[in-house]
Amino acid sequence: MVEVARTHRVGSRRVSALVLLGFCTISVLLAQRGTVRDFLDEEDNPAPMPADAQEPGEYTFARLRYTSKRNGYWGRGGGAWSTDWPKADRQFVQGVRRLTRVNARSVEQVVELDSEEFMQYPWIYATEVGRWDFTEKQAARLREYFLKGGFMMTDDFHGTFEWSVFYEGLQKVFPDRPVVDIEDKDQIFHVLYDLKERFQVGGIQMFFTGRVSENDGYDAKWRAVLDDKGRVMIAICHNMDLGDAWEWADHPRYPENFASLAYRVGVNFIIYSMTH
Amino acid sequence: MFEFLFRYPRSVFTKGDLVLLGSWPVWLLGVLIVAGIVGLGWLMRSRQSEAVGSIKGWRSLVLWALQSSMLAAVLTLLWQPALLVSTLKPQQNVVAVLVDDSQSMALKEGGQARRDQARTPLQAGVLDALSRRFQVRLYRVADRAERIKALDTLTAQAASTNLGDSLKQVSNETAGLPLGGVILVSDGADNSGGVDLDTITELRTRRVPIHTVGVGLEQAVKDVELSDVQAPARALADSRIAAQLTFEQRGYEGRKAKLAVRDGSKVVAMREVTFGKEGNWQTESLLFNAGSAGARAFKFSLDLQEGEENQKNNSTERLVNVQDGRRRILYIEGEPRWEFKFVRRAIEDDKSVKLVTLLRTTQNKFYRQGVDQPTELEQGFPAKVEELFGFHALILGNVELNYFSPTQQELIKSFVDRRGGGLLMLAGRNALSEGGWAKSALAEVLPVILPERKGTFLREPAAVQLTGTAIDSLITRLVEQPGANDERWRKLPQLADYQDIGTPKLGAAVLAEYTPGGRARLPLLVTQNYGRGRTAVLGTSGTWRWQMQQPLEDQTHEVFWQQLQRWLVTETPGPVVASTPRQMLFDESRARLSADVRDKTFLPAADVEVEARVLGPQGLTERIKMKPDAVTPGLYLTDYALPKTGSYLVEFTARRGAEEVGRDVVTLQRQDGVAENFRTGQNRELLEKLSQQTGGRYWKPADLNRLADEIALSEAGITVREARDLWDLPAVFMALIALRGTEWWLRRKWGAV
Repeated sequence: MVEVARTHRVGSRRVSALVLLGFCTISVLLAQRGTVRDFLDEEDNPAPMPADAQEPGEYTFARLRYTSKRNGYWGRGGGAWSTDWPKADRQFVQGVRRLTRVNARSVEQVVELDSEEFMQYPWIYATEVGRWDFTEKQAARLREYFLKGGFMMTDDFHGTFEWSVFYEGLQKVFPDRPVVDIEDKDQIFHVLYDLKERFQVGGIQMFFTGRVSENDGYDAKWRAVLDDKGRVMIAICHNMDLGDAWEWADHPRYPENFASLAYRVGVNFIIYSMTH
Repeated sequence: MFEFLFRYPRSVFTKGDLVLLGSWPVWLLGVLIVAGIVGLGWLMRSRQSEAVGSIKGWRSLVLWALQSSMLAAVLTLLWQPALLVSTLKPQQNVVAVLVDDSQSMALKEGGQARRDQARTPLQAGVLDALSRRFQVRLYRVADRAERIKALDTLTAQAASTNLGDSLKQVSNETAGLPLGGVILVSDGADNSGGVDLDTITELRTRRVPIHTVGVGLEQAVKDVELSDVQAPARALADSRIAAQLTFEQRGYEGRKAKLAVRDGSKVVAMREVTFGKEGNWQTESLLFNAGSAGARAFKFSLDLQEGEENQKNNSTERLVNVQDGRRRILYIEGEPRWEFKFVRRAIEDDKSVKLVTLLRTTQNKFYRQGVDQPTELEQGFPAKVEELFGFHALILGNVELNYFSPTQQELIKSFVDRRGGGLLMLAGRNALSEGGWAKSALAEVLPVILPERKGTFLREPAAVQLTGTAIDSLITRLVEQPGANDERWRKLPQLADYQDIGTPKLGAAVLAEYTPGGRARLPLLVTQNYGRGRTAVLGTSGTWRWQMQQPLEDQTHEVFWQQLQRWLVTETPGPVVASTPRQMLFDESRARLSADVRDKTFLPAADVEVEARVLGPQGLTERIKMKPDAVTPGLYLTDYALPKTGSYLVEFTARRGAEEVGRDVVTLQRQDGVAENFRTGQNRELLEKLSQQTGGRYWKPADLNRLADEIALSEAGITVREARDLWDLPAVFMALIALRGTEWWLRRKWGAV
């Protein structure tokens, strides 16, 4: 009689522990969901149109619109190209205006490879390039763009799989040029700021995952495709999310050092492209 | 006809003095004439009432005038009018006969060489006629006069003609002799540029008339002559050179010919031209690459045409000193711009030019590129003369005036004026008028008058086109053919921006214009020389669109900027600038060499020693100390006689003690037997002037039978005064008949007879 009662008591405690564990887990999860919600709420309130939006400038933040390799919505605009747009662009440009003498237009310009205006923007930004794809014609146009003096900054793609997709697209543009690691002494890291110490800049997902890195992209890779004179044509920022840093630099929870590095890298890339 | 009516040649009337040989006093003639006229007048008036009605009034005055003229003429004839002329005493005077013996006299015209055209009439009787009255001295003339015994020794092979020196020599040789006159038989193709005033004055003082006999056609019937080539004396290695070729043709109007330039045997450029109206000078340009460094002799030529009478005047040479070494340009940019990037890329492969850039990236930070030393331009834009003057040209981008201190502003002005550098100012939101340059001291050096207002810079597209002035400009020549070049510019992508750069100054060259939004054309690229340097303003910072919006293989942007940069630096002098008036010496040997020496601040250096080291043909070497000019500080001169034909290189070195101040090189070439091939048409103008200014006369070979008589009418030598009667001239007789006959005819017409 006593043995049955003991068994019954042991079974009840296990159930209680499980329930308690479950409760705690859900609580933690709910707490996380609340933090991500903070950022998602902000995404619903994009950056306002600046008062001088109509004023042209010498430099324009040109964002490349491309066809995503996989279907699916990510961010506003209906494609991976639009990640962080337009807040990242406008907030970054504010920094460019404040930190340099570059006469930057306050609003961004979305450009497409098939458009005539594409060649009017010698500096372009392409994000989530782990999803990009080109037709042969678009690839040829991009190749011509670089060889004539155009510059591209790529950002926000992580890990082995996304690299393979990026590289596949890149091969269409430059099948015969290698991707190299940018050396520390390269002028692109010293043209305005000395960026000797660089680190991985994470996106807001880190508040959800608890990790700065995404997928298996554990280490920040600073890579490039060079022209015949050793100048950077494509600056490849792999395993980092500089766009998020620009976008959330004004958020109190976003790490200041991440935002600072992201701004300095972006500014260096602009100055470099306007001097080389 | 003249001599038939007036019995004597014109020269008797032009040289003679009118006199009355009658023994009665001249005043009596006057009195009688007046009395006769008055008397006739009174007679006519007194018989007016008896006169026929039709000859009253003005008709009677006409008749009175005719009768008065008749009376005056008859009375004058009674006083024996005559001309007093000086004539050479026979056999007591010397007449010098100078015959041109240069190569141009070997030209054949109508199957006969000019030498023979000259010789034949002289040998056919003219010389004999002269010898009967004078002592004749025969000379052959070329670059100097040489006494000869007979005309058979003429060879027509002398390399050049110098009539002035020859006449001077004859005058000196006959200084103690009674020289009655000079006969010069020549085609007038003088290579020394004419007869100098001193020689003419000397002959006029002696009253020696020069009778010139013009030989040869004044113009060839069928000939093409390349008469002049203008090419720069210096060029940078691998740069483009523009040469202006001037030629004339006869008999080939509308035909096509090839203009070519050769470097040795290699044709470096060629293009087809169409001959214009014959007899007109025509100028065409030819662009070619200078090639590698060194002293180069480029040969310019026009195709030989079928049937050309003179085949030796279709080509000529010019020397160009092609220099190596990179010219440094300092480009200061006020903010990062695309134009800055693409200009750097456009000229990075140009081995002759090195761009050193100073870019203001932030308010107080500069990014330096192209510096030779890590410390170069560390303090920003140079504030010291030696530092700035170490550059050959300066480009000011989007930089406001206030960035530069007053000292730096003056330095920039001196950089252009004194140092001789090139200055280019670009457009921008802080440049030109926007940057406060309109009222600066530097406004004086600019080729435009900047607008005194803001809002001149606009980021709007604008189309470009060339102006007519740009036809000959190397800066804007993207395509060889002028017409195609014009079209090429019209098709260029629109500029990214433009700026109103104001009004071009007098003498400035507007090479390109832009059309903003289809409105009126405004100047885009304007250049001008200032002091020893040159300046340019480019009213845009948006040419980079030519690179990004044209096919990859298109080189328009690169070519334009390379040519603009080379224009900025090519003529920028070093501390020593050597020169000579003519690098090619055709049938002459003397060259004036000069060196302009400046110190480090490019002020004239009057305290240096300058030596010229000559390297000539067949191992010739010579060192010459140059003398400072008494008037111009820093200028050193010497005259050098090139002893042989061939190429010469002269290196000038200036030293102050052991320190070398600088050096420069000039190349020369002496060619003999060339000058006579050019301008071979008879220079009648020179021959006529020579005779007119000395009291002689111009003759054609066919008229020489009267030469001996006319040459006797001279005031030089031993002369006698002769009176030539005028009363028995046929013209006088006919005049008297005409007066009388006219009166009778009028009377008859008016019914009085």
